[in-house]
Amino acid sequence: MCIFGTEKVRKIERKNTNMKKFLALLLTAMMALGMFSFASASSLAGEYDVTIWVAQEIVETTKAQVEAFNQTNTDGIKINATIEAVSESDAATLMITDVEAGGDLYCFAQDQFARLVQAGALAKLGVAAADYVVNNNASGVVAAAQSGDAIYAYPLTADNGYFMYYDKRVVSEDSIDSLEAVIADCEKAQKYFAFEMQTSAWYLASFFFGTGCVSEWTTDADGEFISVTDTFNSPEGMIAVKGMKKLVDSPFHLSSSSGAEFSSDAGVVVTGTWDYKTVEGILGENMGVTDLPSFEVDGKSYHIGSFNGCKLMGVKPQVDAYKAAALHRLAQYLTGEECQMDRFNKHAWGPSNIAAQASEAVQANPGLAALLAQSPYSIPQGQIHGSWWDIAKVIGDDVKAAADDAGLQAALDNYQNKIAALFTLSDEVKNGWTVIGTVNGTNWDTDFTMLKTNAIWQSTEAFAMEAGTEFKVRKGLSWDNNFPAENFKVETAGTYYVQFDEATGTVSLVAAE
Amino acid sequence: MSEKNISSAIEKRHMGLKASRNLSNTAIYILLVAISIIWLVPFACILLQSFRVESTHQVGYVIPHVWGLDNYKNLLNTDFPKWYLNTFIAAMATAVFQTIIVLCMSYTLSRFRFKLRKPLMRFMLILGMFPGMLTMIILYNVLKDLGMTQANSVPGLILVYIASSGMGYYVSKGFFDTIPKSLDEAARVDGATRLQVLMKIILPLAKPIVIYTILTAFMAPWGDYVFARYISFGTSSGKNVAVGLYDWLNHDQIAKCYTMFCAGGVLVALPVTVLFMCLQKYYVEGVTGGAVKG
Amino acid sequence: MKKYTDLEYLKLPKAKRFFVRIASSVCAIPSKILGLFVKLFSLLKALFVGIYNEASDIFLTFKNGDWKTRLSFLVMGFGSIARGQVLRGILFLVFEIVFIGYMILAGGHWLSLITTLGKNGPSSIYDPILDVFTPVYNDNSFKILLYSVLTVFFIIAFLFTWRVNIKQNKIAQQILASGKKLKSGKDDLRSMVDDQFHKTLLSLPLTGIIIFTVLPIFFMILVAFTNFDGSHNGYTNSLFTWVGLDNFNTMLSWTANSQGSVQSYSATFGEVLTWTLIWAFFATFTNYFLGMFVAMAINKKGIKLKKLWRTILVLTVAIPQFISLLYVSKMFAKNGIINGFLMNMGWIDQALPFWEEANWARVSVILINIWIGIPYLMLITTGILMNIPQDLYESARIDGANAWQQYRKITLPYMLFVTGPYLLTSFTGNMNNFNVIYLLTGGAPTNPAASSAAGSVGYTDLLVTWLFKITTGAEAAYNIASVIGILVFVAVAVISLVVYNVLPSIKNEEDFQ
Repeated sequence: MCIFGTEKVRKIERKNTNMKKFLALLLTAMMALGMFSFASASSLAGEYDVTIWVAQEIVETTKAQVEAFNQTNTDGIKINATIEAVSESDAATLMITDVEAGGDLYCFAQDQFARLVQAGALAKLGVAAADYVVNNNASGVVAAAQSGDAIYAYPLTADNGYFMYYDKRVVSEDSIDSLEAVIADCEKAQKYFAFEMQTSAWYLASFFFGTGCVSEWTTDADGEFISVTDTFNSPEGMIAVKGMKKLVDSPFHLSSSSGAEFSSDAGVVVTGTWDYKTVEGILGENMGVTDLPSFEVDGKSYHIGSFNGCKLMGVKPQVDAYKAAALHRLAQYLTGEECQMDRFNKHAWGPSNIAAQASEAVQANPGLAALLAQSPYSIPQGQIHGSWWDIAKVIGDDVKAAADDAGLQAALDNYQNKIAALFTLSDEVKNGWTVIGTVNGTNWDTDFTMLKTNAIWQSTEAFAMEAGTEFKVRKGLSWDNNFPAENFKVETAGTYYVQFDEATGTVSLVAAE
Repeated sequence: MSEKNISSAIEKRHMGLKASRNLSNTAIYILLVAISIIWLVPFACILLQSFRVESTHQVGYVIPHVWGLDNYKNLLNTDFPKWYLNTFIAAMATAVFQTIIVLCMSYTLSRFRFKLRKPLMRFMLILGMFPGMLTMIILYNVLKDLGMTQANSVPGLILVYIASSGMGYYVSKGFFDTIPKSLDEAARVDGATRLQVLMKIILPLAKPIVIYTILTAFMAPWGDYVFARYISFGTSSGKNVAVGLYDWLNHDQIAKCYTMFCAGGVLVALPVTVLFMCLQKYYVEGVTGGAVKG
Repeated sequence: MKKYTDLEYLKLPKAKRFFVRIASSVCAIPSKILGLFVKLFSLLKALFVGIYNEASDIFLTFKNGDWKTRLSFLVMGFGSIARGQVLRGILFLVFEIVFIGYMILAGGHWLSLITTLGKNGPSSIYDPILDVFTPVYNDNSFKILLYSVLTVFFIIAFLFTWRVNIKQNKIAQQILASGKKLKSGKDDLRSMVDDQFHKTLLSLPLTGIIIFTVLPIFFMILVAFTNFDGSHNGYTNSLFTWVGLDNFNTMLSWTANSQGSVQSYSATFGEVLTWTLIWAFFATFTNYFLGMFVAMAINKKGIKLKKLWRTILVLTVAIPQFISLLYVSKMFAKNGIINGFLMNMGWIDQALPFWEEANWARVSVILINIWIGIPYLMLITTGILMNIPQDLYESARIDGANAWQQYRKITLPYMLFVTGPYLLTSFTGNMNNFNVIYLLTGGAPTNPAASSAAGSVGYTDLLVTWLFKITTGAEAAYNIASVIGILVFVAVAVISLVVYNVLPSIKNEEDFQ
């Protein structure tokens, strides 16, 4: 039934964009038919036009690596690569705007992962490729490329964490372990302490992680977020914001994470390995690199935590199975040990590949060493809701504006409300009525579903109730609408269904047979 | 009061006026010098930084320690020339087509009285109240279907710049309104067609507004960032200068590209500024007329 | 309130006069608004009457028409061709054929899908030989909506042409009946550059406006009634569809799970709108008065080097804003050149928070906008100031008026009179001044209370920059953005209408001829 050879289908796909609308429609139908027949030959030999999006810094390196791939691959794949400099954050935004026009291979920071899966911008890895990723990368990194049970991307680096660079002339060796001492040193020298507290949730969360708070999110296989465990609004969170306030209240705090700040009056910058060469270029032998300091609240000391994340390389879903297969081979090569080491040597990008991580050169790198020193306090960055970044980054400004502890608490409340609001209720739940009370051994904390038949709502299960059991019915899991006005009290023990008439607002019991 | 007294009083008043005028002129000179400094400092800083050789990132001082043209030379090794060319082509084409369209529109609305004229003007006024930001995603998709995005962005950019330029007819319509209608009528009596009236009589008189329109149309593409970003869509060769240079100030590139940004900025500003200065007279006539007529 | 005649009014003391003027213009607002409704009503009435007249005319044409005319109802241009106006007739016929062809081949298909915006979402298939997942893309909601809108526009154009075709037949029939000759193709061509020249001139600009402005706006309005966002992009993840007024509901009541103080979109909208109005007011009037002042200073008799001063000032008009504003925003950073300079001079001992604190940032953008705006206003006012008849000043001087009095009594009234419309357009222009805000602050600092799950909002964000953030943010919520876009339109339209109608109208085009 395959009228076109797959090769032909590929060509048609390329021309498609120039065709008239109705022809395109016809062809789409044909292609859909064509694609249902599996590729009959497994030879990947051939030329493939591919667009690759990488950060400006590694454009040349990547060019050479693709060349090497063309020379060494055993499948006869020849990649004609167009390599574009697109920053990791731009790549994600562009891919979401228009998947079709995006790069065939592209790099992104892991915080964008869920958005990209959801947008249908990442191709799921085949069995062999997924195995390869799982077996060759650190487990935290693998989790970052995983949604549900499926792997959707190739880990590129594992160094997306931050630590402290400092100017040895400003901050003394004795101070580097204490936030308060570092701040004091900076103020004394009239130099800035750059730590991006006001514009980036990624950096700001460090204080919370330092006191043991978590924000853990779970997704299903489609990248849809299902639930969250978030403890930022807690006594520990309060300690975190108190520590944060010490920093943001300093006149010499600078909300920035650019290594280049050292050239304009910064004494300390909290940033990652990617700034290593820049800072080294500015400070030379005065550069100090270490893990983040501790802060003290109520006599107890807390080491500032951090995110530990990675960068990933994704393959755009391809209608052409051959091209898809070739791209997966290429992505696997570009994120393999050899290429990761190459990038480490040329650009100091920390590898995610286990073998590369174990190499002596990587172990000896001061930036990565600082990251390693920070690692006991860092948490692997899992899947996080895209909106969390916007919601959480506000805390910094809130904390700065807070006048007292009540203000700090308000900041946390504000945060929690917004997190809770992310999971909006479905219409079904919003308009449905539920029973809540001291029913079935619960204590006003569990809602029992009701179903509507003939304008009367009835609980889906019968409850064994003792005399004196109290309950109410409410709408949309909220107390905005609830009946009866006074708690309903059961007078005679028995097994009852709860009934509710929405029109009159009357609650009644019906004995179960 | 005697005559003499009066004349001396006038004399005195004159002297007083002169003194106070000198005083106020001095104050104005001081003010103007201060303003000039405020206005020039940022540009001077950009210019100076573009000659800094010793480092490529932002620094806390203005005057370079080591002077040189390295940044300008380095520009040639990037895609900057391509961006420059893209922008230049877009600017030239926009200048030509936009001028034609705007003149068609404004001349018609100024000279002809037809039934739909007022509703049309009102309609365009209303259209202008929608935030154009929102329509970009659609324009992007339309252009993509036409194959005018990414590497082919230049025709796409030109199309978008000129397509709706008819809505910016206010200024030149105001100018046409000031050209007496009796000229047209005299020519019409002599048997000239409307086309001939426009080409032979009105256009020569409208030189200032034509030049004004060309100038503004030429300048706009140099500064467009938002739409050019959409349409280049991650393809370096499809960027214009604004998008390309803006990206150099990105977090991950600013340390290496900051002085190059300044050099690029100087190169972009130079032709536009020179052109502007040469044609300033017409620009002034244009904006003045436009503002008056609204 | 008491009505004053002109004479009574002039007799009033000055202070009272001012009061009376304000009171009367305020009192006029309701009646003006009422007037608007009356106008709107009469417009509607005219519309219906028009439709009725057209319909009856079409009917009468058919009734009184000969067979050529009647056949033209079906075959457009037939009458014209049969009566010898071949060029005209062929144009009509070609248009009809193109239209029918389009409707059969494409338009009908798109229109048939508009009710659901597509049924089949994308799916994914696994190719076990190549070990890859490939997507199958099916319907594309975006294209369905876009091309449906296009088709509707095309249909309207067709109906219009059809109507013209019928009218032509009627006229031709009348002309022939009265024994005159019809216009030849040559006459038609000549009239295109003569009698009908305005149509020739307008055809190109209007086509552009319809396709590139009207159609997209129409599309965006429709999007406000769909669930088009990042997770329903209509093609690669899931289709979008009509959701009625849901987005407007979301806009009004965003507190979905009613847990507390999460701000609704509408409250956020209110806050951003308020700042947008404040900004537009200050941006317009500071520039206006300071620009006028500078122009007067330069134009003052006895000031030398007029051209030099002007040239220096207009640099900000000539140099593209993305260069100057980006650079200036870096200059005012906490560790930028300005703060560095002030600290080195010992005038301040800690950096001024130009961009860090809400009020600082707001004042800063207004001040820097002055830097951008003064030169432009200077150019405009220079020309107008020169037009003020000098004898007015002469006589004022003889009456002993000082400079301030001359300004108040002559310059200002004249300027306001002449530049009134400009002030209005500049006000609405400033409301949508994307560049200044985006390039200077990007909206920062973030407003904790107003930021919502759909993206963060800053204290300096205008409605347009907020829109930009919503469409490019984590949720890519085009649907909500469209709702806000509609509200922006309403806000701008109301302001313009009120200003145009309530303030004494100062423009009558014919006056200037």
